[in-house]
Amino acid sequence: MKYVLPTLGAVAAVALFAFSSSNQTAIAVERPSYDETFQQLELFADVLARVRSDYVVDVNDGELIEDAINGMLQSLDPHSSYVNPDEFRDLQVSTSGEYGGLGMEVTTEEGFVKIITPIDDTPAKRAGVKAGDYITEIEGESIMGVSLSDAVKRMRGKPGEPITITIAREDEEQMEITMVREVIKRQVVKYEVKDGMGYIRISQFNEKADEGLAAAVTSLKKELGGKIPGIVLDLRGNPGGLLDQSVKVSSAFLDGGEVVSTRGRTASDTERYNGERGELAKGIPLVILIDGASASASEIVAGAVQDRGRGLLVGMTSFGKGSVQSVIPLRGGRDGALRLTTQRYYTPSGRSIQGTGIDPDIYVSAIPDDGKEHKIRREADLPNTIPNEDASEDGAGAEDESKTEEVVADVMIDYPPEGFEIEDDYQLQKAIEILKNGTYPNLLANAG
Amino acid sequence: MHSGFKTHLKRGAAIAVLATSFALWSPTLSAKPQPEEDKEALARLELFADVFSRVREQYVEEVTDKELIEAALNGALASLDPHSAYSPPAEFKEQREAVKREYGGLGIEVTTEAGLVKVNHAIEDGPAYAAGIRGGDYITAVAGVKTRGKSLDDAVEGMRGLAGDPITVTVLSEGQAPRDIVVVRQVVRGRAVRHRVENGLGYVFIETFNNTKLTDDLTKALKSIERDLGGAIPGLIIDMRSNRGGLLDQSVSVSGLFMDGGEVLSARGRTAADTERYHAEDGELYPNMPIVVLVNSGSASAAEIVAGALQDRGRAVVIGRRTFGKGSVQSVIPLIKHGGALRMTTQRYYTPSGQSIQGRGIMPDMLVAIAPDTGEIRKRFREDSLPNSLLNPDDTDYKEDHDAIIYPPEDWSTSKDFQLEKAIEVLKTSKHRTLLTEQSSRYKFP
Repeated sequence: MKYVLPTLGAVAAVALFAFSSSNQTAIAVERPSYDETFQQLELFADVLARVRSDYVVDVNDGELIEDAINGMLQSLDPHSSYVNPDEFRDLQVSTSGEYGGLGMEVTTEEGFVKIITPIDDTPAKRAGVKAGDYITEIEGESIMGVSLSDAVKRMRGKPGEPITITIAREDEEQMEITMVREVIKRQVVKYEVKDGMGYIRISQFNEKADEGLAAAVTSLKKELGGKIPGIVLDLRGNPGGLLDQSVKVSSAFLDGGEVVSTRGRTASDTERYNGERGELAKGIPLVILIDGASASASEIVAGAVQDRGRGLLVGMTSFGKGSVQSVIPLRGGRDGALRLTTQRYYTPSGRSIQGTGIDPDIYVSAIPDDGKEHKIRREADLPNTIPNEDASEDGAGAEDESKTEEVVADVMIDYPPEGFEIEDDYQLQKAIEILKNGTYPNLLANAG
Repeated sequence: MHSGFKTHLKRGAAIAVLATSFALWSPTLSAKPQPEEDKEALARLELFADVFSRVREQYVEEVTDKELIEAALNGALASLDPHSAYSPPAEFKEQREAVKREYGGLGIEVTTEAGLVKVNHAIEDGPAYAAGIRGGDYITAVAGVKTRGKSLDDAVEGMRGLAGDPITVTVLSEGQAPRDIVVVRQVVRGRAVRHRVENGLGYVFIETFNNTKLTDDLTKALKSIERDLGGAIPGLIIDMRSNRGGLLDQSVSVSGLFMDGGEVLSARGRTAADTERYHAEDGELYPNMPIVVLVNSGSASAAEIVAGALQDRGRAVVIGRRTFGKGSVQSVIPLIKHGGALRMTTQRYYTPSGQSIQGRGIMPDMLVAIAPDTGEIRKRFREDSLPNSLLNPDDTDYKEDHDAIIYPPEDWSTSKDFQLEKAIEVLKTSKHRTLLTEQSSRYKFP
């Protein structure tokens, strides 16, 4: 009692002071909203106290409140979450230190760890792990309900050490895969000359993406005898990464001007990102390959290039992750941090990417048309996702939505012929064909 | 500038509201100080207030306080166990009304035959019986919609409705032209108990404990079996397979039919003062009648109470598979000022010998499978398979001994009930006595 009272007293005193001055200064209209807030907070404290006194076993208050915080944040959207102090520390270490890993981008979905994408040239990619696979066990132990950071921690270890994970894939038996951990070198840009064209693949937008792209363009120019007749920029399966890298990569194809804007709740939160003047790949015809797994930073690049009329997009509609999460440290990180969606991405013409994604100019499928509707998980399919503002406002918005539906239904998709081998990459073949057969200028002029 | 001022005020005030109301409501906090823990709790409350206000300020879209707090409450309650939850006012209101607004039916048991809905049995005090519908009749249409070709579920769905609402059914009886009969729906309790004579023994099937007349019906069923046998019942099978439970008092009174007083179960909360003991009534219906109880992994809650009591008290041999393990009690705590409610686990069930049922279930005295052994161990869905379930600290005798399971032979026909046949065998041989003796060595009273 002795201990509790002063603490409570102090907090209450500070608050009461604040509260009374609010009565004097705040305008009267806001009073009901204060009461509403206090009622809700009272309710919360009331429930906690009851759980504390009546639940069948002793409850750790700290954990209970942390679960409440998690519940609150997860209700917002699939990308907002609470990062506890341990996780926050790990987050900072893992972005700097060297460790042995498997090379996968992972997330959690419905209590399981889901693979967003295996990174090129890593143990995971070589072992045949696929985007959309679920990891159900690590070393034979179920990880259902285990937090993402714990699961990731268990997968990391000394380079050279083997690890066995169990993978669940839709319509297939669970399988165990053993891989040897290695230091993941994140070479995110690869390039080669394909049919006389420059082919550049960016697998992720990490801090090396822009350098990698510049090096690729320089080398390709050399290999092709001084002039690149056309570039295929492959952003398929690219889950995104750093915003400033997407701006820098876009700059290589644009001579200044807006690449993307991020907009928050109020107009004053809007930030505009412009490309640097001077275009690295000036005058070179550009085709960008996208698919349902091209997300976030990939969509920024694709959207900017499309809006600015700088290149053609080929493939399938992108993922639709057009929201920005801020990591907000709490008490300098001692209380962990808040990963909170604070803004949405908009393309230069003012389109929101969130939920809808970027549609290609020319739809080309990677796999033959087997009559089945292939459902690809997109942002809009995630439970509790943030809607796209353009489509959700009011009656007029609803009308728009049905229109979009119609357009999608009418889309002509170019499918590879039956029996076409996926390895032969139909989408890439089509991209090169467009650059080579002289239709590019016409198609570009008619796009958008 | 003004908006920034406003939010800062709120953050400070929010913490104060949380801290003071928490202290007011929490008896442990005010009565028994636990300084370290309280300091931690208050720090966490501050953290909560901090997160709450940041979300309000910075989230990409405007969110209401109500939405945020309800989501927080859901998160906190759901983290406790799979049966605890928060109901917002609208939902709680609906729940209460659903209890009052009972659904009515016609009081018939139906089946499909040759694509038609056939009346198996018309309950004597049901409205259909009163309107002249009898077992063996066919129902060809419900409210003018033909039943032919419909699934039984769809056909039955059409017959259900609010009690008091009339419905027209087209009935075809043997040797008569189809006729329309108007039946006024009533709240009809299904037959709580099905009974028959099985191989000279008594057999009762209890499908659910959600029936206030269960104990009466069971008593009647036993009398009827006695009449059919023309004398004492030489042995009784109580089948509670896939019985999901129901009313606690019915589990106590059903157990009480077969015991002369004494404890049936206790429900225990966090402190000894929360313990409630439930006793059987004095006087036993059939003191010397041997009993076998049939259970499986779908037998839960009230069914586990009965099986556990009869087993612990040495009154019956339990046969089948380990039961579900739902041994926790949820209290609905209305939040008066706010209008919503908490559904929270407050107690656990214990058998008379002091074993907790939660997460553990009742282990049969004889493990018998329903289907032939395929070589694989199939994981059954039980309470402990639920994510985040309340675990039982006592895990002795917890896993089924797979070598001890008796399987039907490989060519066993699925139309025959192997577990039932084993139950009959046990009752008809000296095995019943042997199993009871073995059982008494396992369940020692403290």
